[in-house]
Amino acid sequence: MSADTLGPLLALPVVLPLTGAAAAPLLARLSARLSMAVSILLLAGSAGVLLAAAPYVFGGHVLVHYFGGWGPVDGHVLGVTFGADSWGLAFALVTAVVGAILLLFMLSEQGDLGPRELGWFSCLFQLLLAGLIGGALTADMVNLFVWFEVAALASYALTAFFLERPLALEAAFKMLVLTNVASFVVFMAAALLYADRGALNMGQLQQALAGRPGIVELAALGLLLVGFATKAGLVPCHGWLPDAHSAAPGPVSALFSGLMVNFGIVAIGRLVYSVYAEAGRAALTLLLVAGLISAVGGAFFALFQDDLKRLLAYDTIAQMGVLAVGLATATASGLAGTTYHLINHALFKALLFLCAGAIVHATGATKLSEMTGLGRRMRWLGVAFGAGAVAIAGIPPLNGYVSVGLIHEGLIESHQFGALAAMVLAQVLTVAALGRAAWRLYARPSGTIERTERLRPGMLVALVALGVGCLAFGVLEPWLTAHVMTPSASALLDHAGYARAALSGGGPIAGRSVSFDYLNPAELLATFGTVVAAIPVLRFAQRHPDARFITRVRAVQSGSVNDYVAYQAAGLVLAVVALIVTQ
Amino acid sequence: MPVIVANYLCAALLFCLGLFTLLTRRNLIKMVMGLSLMEASTYVLLLSLAYRPGSTAPVLLDMPPGKSPEQVADPVLQNFCLTAIVIGVAVTGVSLAVVVRLAQHYRTLDADEIRELRG
Repeated sequence: MSADTLGPLLALPVVLPLTGAAAAPLLARLSARLSMAVSILLLAGSAGVLLAAAPYVFGGHVLVHYFGGWGPVDGHVLGVTFGADSWGLAFALVTAVVGAILLLFMLSEQGDLGPRELGWFSCLFQLLLAGLIGGALTADMVNLFVWFEVAALASYALTAFFLERPLALEAAFKMLVLTNVASFVVFMAAALLYADRGALNMGQLQQALAGRPGIVELAALGLLLVGFATKAGLVPCHGWLPDAHSAAPGPVSALFSGLMVNFGIVAIGRLVYSVYAEAGRAALTLLLVAGLISAVGGAFFALFQDDLKRLLAYDTIAQMGVLAVGLATATASGLAGTTYHLINHALFKALLFLCAGAIVHATGATKLSEMTGLGRRMRWLGVAFGAGAVAIAGIPPLNGYVSVGLIHEGLIESHQFGALAAMVLAQVLTVAALGRAAWRLYARPSGTIERTERLRPGMLVALVALGVGCLAFGVLEPWLTAHVMTPSASALLDHAGYARAALSGGGPIAGRSVSFDYLNPAELLATFGTVVAAIPVLRFAQRHPDARFITRVRAVQSGSVNDYVAYQAAGLVLAVVALIVTQ
Repeated sequence: MPVIVANYLCAALLFCLGLFTLLTRRNLIKMVMGLSLMEASTYVLLLSLAYRPGSTAPVLLDMPPGKSPEQVADPVLQNFCLTAIVIGVAVTGVSLAVVVRLAQHYRTLDADEIRELRG
């Protein structure tokens, strides 16, 4: 289809889930099944529209639509603009598809709920998805904040949905406080940029920001970085993440970890590359440091968790760190790898969280020590968890290998060898942490599990779909790298093209070329090396879980909201001061 | 522009007060109040950014006599301020709902007694 037909359709991917959100509670009164079918169909429709736009956008264009016909006048745009480039579209597409799969799992698992609860649950679910898709497609600063806030409000309600669970309420409160502070700073930054440069449209803003950035712009950049780093769960703004992920219901954790936190990275990429462009390079060092600390720290914390979902949550922090490092490379391979890893993370982390949810559903077990041998008794679940763990560990032919490899390549191209070493260390810790969980699941059953319930068909379909996705994204690497990931990297790197397109109703993006050598001996050897090195780490973690330095480090995660806000505020001050001083 | 400097200082002070509340108070309701203070600081900041010296309200069909287009407050920022107020109400509502349920479960409002999730 041509750009003229596709442009006006750009609102549909957001409108459809919003309609579904409004309809779900009403339809659920008639029939829970009808409500579920309509919600999933609407999300599929959203994915369909995005898919129809995909050939044009991934072919190296930006698709732009001005709402209400408030187009550019003399290079000024005041109306809301949607601009779908490859970077945003890739995330929006994954959100719609994985979102539909998660909704299927959720409605199947929670089928025993009353129709009213089910209706509201699916309403909030779709509201969150609509927020994420809107945030990925928008090219307007304040609109970005609005979608951030839509997603945030839905996420508080989803975490605390089962009001009789005190843990979920505790987690919801922590999330609420930290995310709210983040939303204030994002909002202030958008307002400061508008007041200073008179632009809301990202393209116009980028052109207005050309040249040496002043103190106000740098402060705004720091505020935006910290705001979206909180959404992404990057250290030191990560306090809410492990609690919210471990206390929320299984499919909600999968939605948070697979899609919602990724949105933070998508927005950071958009702001640093497409909005600040040259001036944004100042933020890359900060991003690299925060990313490395998150990657190593998250994986370290994951190694000592007994609660399976908490382990996966800390691993999410580690993976977000990897994504931040990928963004900080500023090379075509590194950015292509970041896009790839973003999609991969949505697939494998959603899969693992769904496995954890399915285990709770089948046996009621949440702790690893209660799950010994479960993978042998529930074959499908064992296979699905294994696939997810192998994918994260980056073992070919599953998908993690390619994306992490591309990010490593980006680090080598930009000569950041220290960062590369830290990334490999984080990978060793990650493999050990997930290996520990898998070890438990496949160990000889000790007979602690009393009841096991069969998985429902919808849950099985969701697990299989995500598992197949992990395999497909590993096997179809050459096609995906060339046609999806490279255009995304190009869209971020060609900031001038993006600005032109956002101000003139669409336009082309200069293409880059990225290739990945699947059989690169160094990369294969590094993968093998991380797996081998993980074994002693794993044994150490099993033998000395209470070593003094470990308990001391774990005390940082004190469970107090005040402490978490303090970490976040320190990050805020550091980011703003560092940006202003170094420029 | 002495008025405006005072406004910016007021916004900064409100923000810092809110943050101080979040950092030092363990009472959940006080923390929600801290969030509301920070929210209020964004309103003050936005309205101050919209101010132009000698300006009128931006509700016009034609320019009033003797005013130039520079002498009208920026309607875009005032508009955002309205958006922020609406969002602020929703957020306060959700936070207080969570606090009420927490208080019912734990019979306390002390955040330090509600920290089962840690480590």
